[in-house]
Amino acid sequence: MSEQYFVAGRHGPRRGFVERLAGDLVAVFDHALDAEASSGRRGLLQGLDPRCKLVAILALILCAVLTRSLTVLAALFLLAVALGLASGISPARLARQVWLGVLLFTGLIALPAIVLVPGAPLWQLPWLHWSVTLPGLRSAAFLVGRAETAATFALLLVLTTPWMHVLKAMRALGVPVVMVAILGMTHRYLFVFLQTALQMFEARQSRIVAPLAGAQRRRMVTAAVGVLLARTFQLSADVHLAMVARGYRGEVHLLDDFRARRRDWAALSFALALPAAILWSQR
Amino acid sequence: MHIPDGYLSLSTCAAAYAAALPFWYIAFRRVRRLLHTRMVPLLAVFSAFCFVIMMFNLPLPGGTTGHAVGVGIAAIVLGPWASMVAISVALLIQAVFFGDGGITTFGANCLNMAVAGSLVANWTYTLVAGRSAPDSTRRLVAAGAAGYLAINVSALLAGVEFGIQPLLFHDATGAPLYAPYPLSIALPAMMIGHLSFAGLAELLISAGLVAYLQRANPELLAFSAPGRSPRLAAAGAWRSTRSLWYALAGLMIATPLGLLAVGTAWGEWGTESFADAGARQAILRASGNVAPPVAAPHGMERLAGVWTAPIPDYAPAFMHSAGFGYILSAVFGAGLILLLLLVVSRLVSGKATPEA
Amino acid sequence: MSDDVFELADVAYRYQDKPALDGVSLRIRKGDRVALLGANGSGKSTLLRLLDALYFPAGGELKAFGVPVTEAALADDAINFAFRRRVGLVFQNPDVQLFNPTVFDELAFGPLQLGWPKERILAEIDGMLDRFALRPLKDRAPHRLSGGEKKRVALASVLIMAPEVVLLDEPTASLDPESQAEVIRFLLESKGSGRTIVTATHDLDIVEDIADSVVVLADGRVAAVGAPGEILDDAELLKRTRLAHAHWHHHADGAVHAHLHSHRHHHDHHDGPGPRLISGKG
Repeated sequence: MSEQYFVAGRHGPRRGFVERLAGDLVAVFDHALDAEASSGRRGLLQGLDPRCKLVAILALILCAVLTRSLTVLAALFLLAVALGLASGISPARLARQVWLGVLLFTGLIALPAIVLVPGAPLWQLPWLHWSVTLPGLRSAAFLVGRAETAATFALLLVLTTPWMHVLKAMRALGVPVVMVAILGMTHRYLFVFLQTALQMFEARQSRIVAPLAGAQRRRMVTAAVGVLLARTFQLSADVHLAMVARGYRGEVHLLDDFRARRRDWAALSFALALPAAILWSQR
Repeated sequence: MHIPDGYLSLSTCAAAYAAALPFWYIAFRRVRRLLHTRMVPLLAVFSAFCFVIMMFNLPLPGGTTGHAVGVGIAAIVLGPWASMVAISVALLIQAVFFGDGGITTFGANCLNMAVAGSLVANWTYTLVAGRSAPDSTRRLVAAGAAGYLAINVSALLAGVEFGIQPLLFHDATGAPLYAPYPLSIALPAMMIGHLSFAGLAELLISAGLVAYLQRANPELLAFSAPGRSPRLAAAGAWRSTRSLWYALAGLMIATPLGLLAVGTAWGEWGTESFADAGARQAILRASGNVAPPVAAPHGMERLAGVWTAPIPDYAPAFMHSAGFGYILSAVFGAGLILLLLLVVSRLVSGKATPEA
Repeated sequence: MSDDVFELADVAYRYQDKPALDGVSLRIRKGDRVALLGANGSGKSTLLRLLDALYFPAGGELKAFGVPVTEAALADDAINFAFRRRVGLVFQNPDVQLFNPTVFDELAFGPLQLGWPKERILAEIDGMLDRFALRPLKDRAPHRLSGGEKKRVALASVLIMAPEVVLLDEPTASLDPESQAEVIRFLLESKGSGRTIVTATHDLDIVEDIADSVVVLADGRVAAVGAPGEILDDAELLKRTRLAHAHWHHHADGAVHAHLHSHRHHHDHHDGPGPRLISGKG
C-alpha cells in the first residue's frame, strides 16, 4: 500500500471515511500477499541474486532521476515493463499497483505546473485564459515520468524478491546489522498493528449507521491511535522477553545463502553501465 | 511531506544524504549501546506505529502531502536519537516495500522528518517542560508544542528542498527538470497544510498520547523526565558530542567564506594565466612586483596537458550560478540556527545535560 | 538432589506493586510432566517466566539444575547460553514469539544466538520443517499463518534448540480442536522421553492427558499438589480456586441438572426416574 493509494484508491463521496481507511489497510495486506506470491514464481528477476538485483535496480532508479531527456526516460519505463513481463508481472498488475496511484497523486501535484511554469504559450484554456506552456508540459512530463519509472522499478524489486532477502542484500551493501534487524522486525509488527486497526475499524463499521461527523471521526482516530500505542508498549516488552528466552544478548545474527553466478554479474554490469552512459552523455 | 523520487535532483539528494549521514552515525552508536535491552523491539514497534500514522495523508497541490508523523511522541519516549532510527526505518519500509518511491529522496525525507523532526521535538519538549513533574499539564503543553513545531520545521525543510529545484535545474527549453514549483508556491503550499491540519494532528497525537501514558504507563515517560534513569544517562555523553555540534555549526557558518576569496592562490596559476593581461597584473601584485615571464615556462607547458581534472577549478559549472548562492545561504542560515539552539539549550540547562 | 530440575523455596514476585507470587515452594524433577493449574491472574504465567529466568525472584530462592538462578548468575555468557539451550518457553501469544519475518528465519533465530555453525543450523531447520509439517510454509510471513500453524512454528522454534525442559503457557488457548489435538499429541509423546514438561493451563479437559502431577495455583500461592485424578475430583478445591463453575444443562426428559462442571470424563446424572430438579454433586 502506498500513501498514493490513500489519495487515489477507491475514492468517492459515497465511500465513507471508515470504509476508506479499512480499505486501505486491507490494501496493505493484499500488497504483501501479492509480493509473496510473485516472488515465489519462476522468472527473469526472481532468478537473480538478491544483492546484484538490489544494486542493479538502484542503478536503474538513478538513471530515471539523472536523465534530462524525455526519450531516455520513456525508454527506461519500457525497460521496466519488459523486465516485469519477463518475470511474470503483467502491465495490468503494474498499472493497478503503481501507475494509477502515482498518476493520480503526482499527476494532481504536477497539473498546475502546466500553466504555472513560465515560457512561450502553446494554447490558452477556454474559460480561464491561462496559457499552457511548452516548458510547463515538459516539466509535468518529467515529474510524472520520473515518479512512475522509479516507482515501477522499486515495485519490481519487491515483487520478485522475498522481503527478508532484500534486507539481507542490504546487509551485503553495508547497511548495519542493527538496522536490518529492526527493519525486519518492524515489517513483521506492521502487520500486527494493521490487523488490530482493521479489527477496530471493522467493529466500528458494523455499528455505524450514518456517516461520521468530523468530531466523531477525529475521536475515533485518536482512540485507534491510543489503542495502537498501548499495544506497542505491551508487545515490545513481551517480544524482548521472547528474544532473551531464545538466547538474545544484543548481537544480531543473520543467516543467508546467496550465491552470485555469471548471470548475476552480467545483469549488474549492464545496469551499472546505464547511469554511467547517461552521465557521460550529459557532461 | 514525503518526497517521492523524481521531485529532487540527484545533487540535492546527494547533499541530503551527506547531511543525514553524521546524524545516522551518532544515532546508531547510541542505539547500539542499548541493544541488549528492550530497545530493539521497542524501536521496531514504534517504527511500525509511525508508519501507520504516516499512512493517513492528503495531497497538497504545489507541494507533496500533509500528514502527521508521530515524531513528537517518538522523540519524547525514545529520545531524539532512537527516534531518528525509528522514523528512518519507517520511511525506508515505506519507500522500498510499499513502492512509494522515495529511494533517491530517502536521505532528504530522513533529514526532514527523522533528523530535524526528532531534534526539534526533543528540544522544544525539554525547553517547555523544564523541570515540571512528569504527570503535570505543562508536559502536555510541551508535548503538543513539540509535535507541532517538529512537523512544521520538517515541512519547511521539504518545501525549501523542492522550492529550489526549478531555480537550479532545467533543460534547454527552460522546463524545470524536477519539482516545477518555485519557493513562492512550494513554501505556502506546504506550510498552509502543515500549519493547519497536519500540525494539529501531530499536536493532538503527541499531547494525547503523553496524557495517556501519564495514566497508564508513566515509566515510559521517564526517558525525558528530570533525574533520568542512570542506564540512559550512561548511554550517551552529551559532553563529548557537544563540541562536535559547535564545530559543525562553525563549519556551516564558514561555508560561504570560500566564495569571498577572490582571485587565485599564489602559485596555482594555469598556463593560460601567463597570456592574459589581467591575470598577469594579479600575479605581479601578488609577487611583490616581480614581473612574471612573458610565456609560460617550458616544463609547465609540457606537463600541463598531461592531466585534465574531471572537475576543473574544483567547481562544476553550476557552482558559479546564483542558485548555488541560495544553497550556500541556506547552509549558512541553518548553521546560525543550530548555533542559536546550542547556545539557548546551554543557557537553559545550566550545565551539560546527559542527553541531547 | 541431582534429579531436581527446578527447586523453589518461598519464591515471591511483585508486578507493579502488586504481589504476583507470594511464597511459592515447589520441586520439579527430571522427566516430570507437570500441569500448573490456575485461573487467570493466579500467577501461572509469572511462575513460568521465573522458571525461564526472564524474571528474577524478589524474595526466596529459585534453583535450576542445582544452581541458583539470579540476574548476576545469568550475566555470565556461558551460564546464560547453557540455560537458554536447556530450558525453552512457548509463550501464550504467538505474535510475541514470532518476531522474525519468515518461518525459516524464526527457526534459525535460536541456533544463531547459540552460535551453532551454519551447516548444522540448516540441517536442524530441515529436520524441524519435516517433523512439524512446515515445509510449505518455510518462506511465509507469520501474519499469514493460521492460529494452529503459528503454534506449530512457535513450538518448532523452541524445540530446535533441543531443550531438556519445555515450559508451555496455555498451549491450547484459542486453538481449534484439531490444532489442540496436535499439541496434546506432542505432549503425550514426551512421556518417558526424559524431557521435563511444565504446562500452565486452565483447561481442565486436557490435564489428565498431558500431566502426571498437578500443581494448583491461586492468588500467587500453591493451593494444592497431587495426581490429576485427585485434583480433578476435588470439586471443593476447584470451586475455591475458580477453576470450575456451577453448570446447568437440560435433559431430554425435562429435568434441569445442576452440578459442578466436572472434567472427569463421566459423572452420574439421575437419582431416579421422573422430571425433578436434581442438584448436588455429580
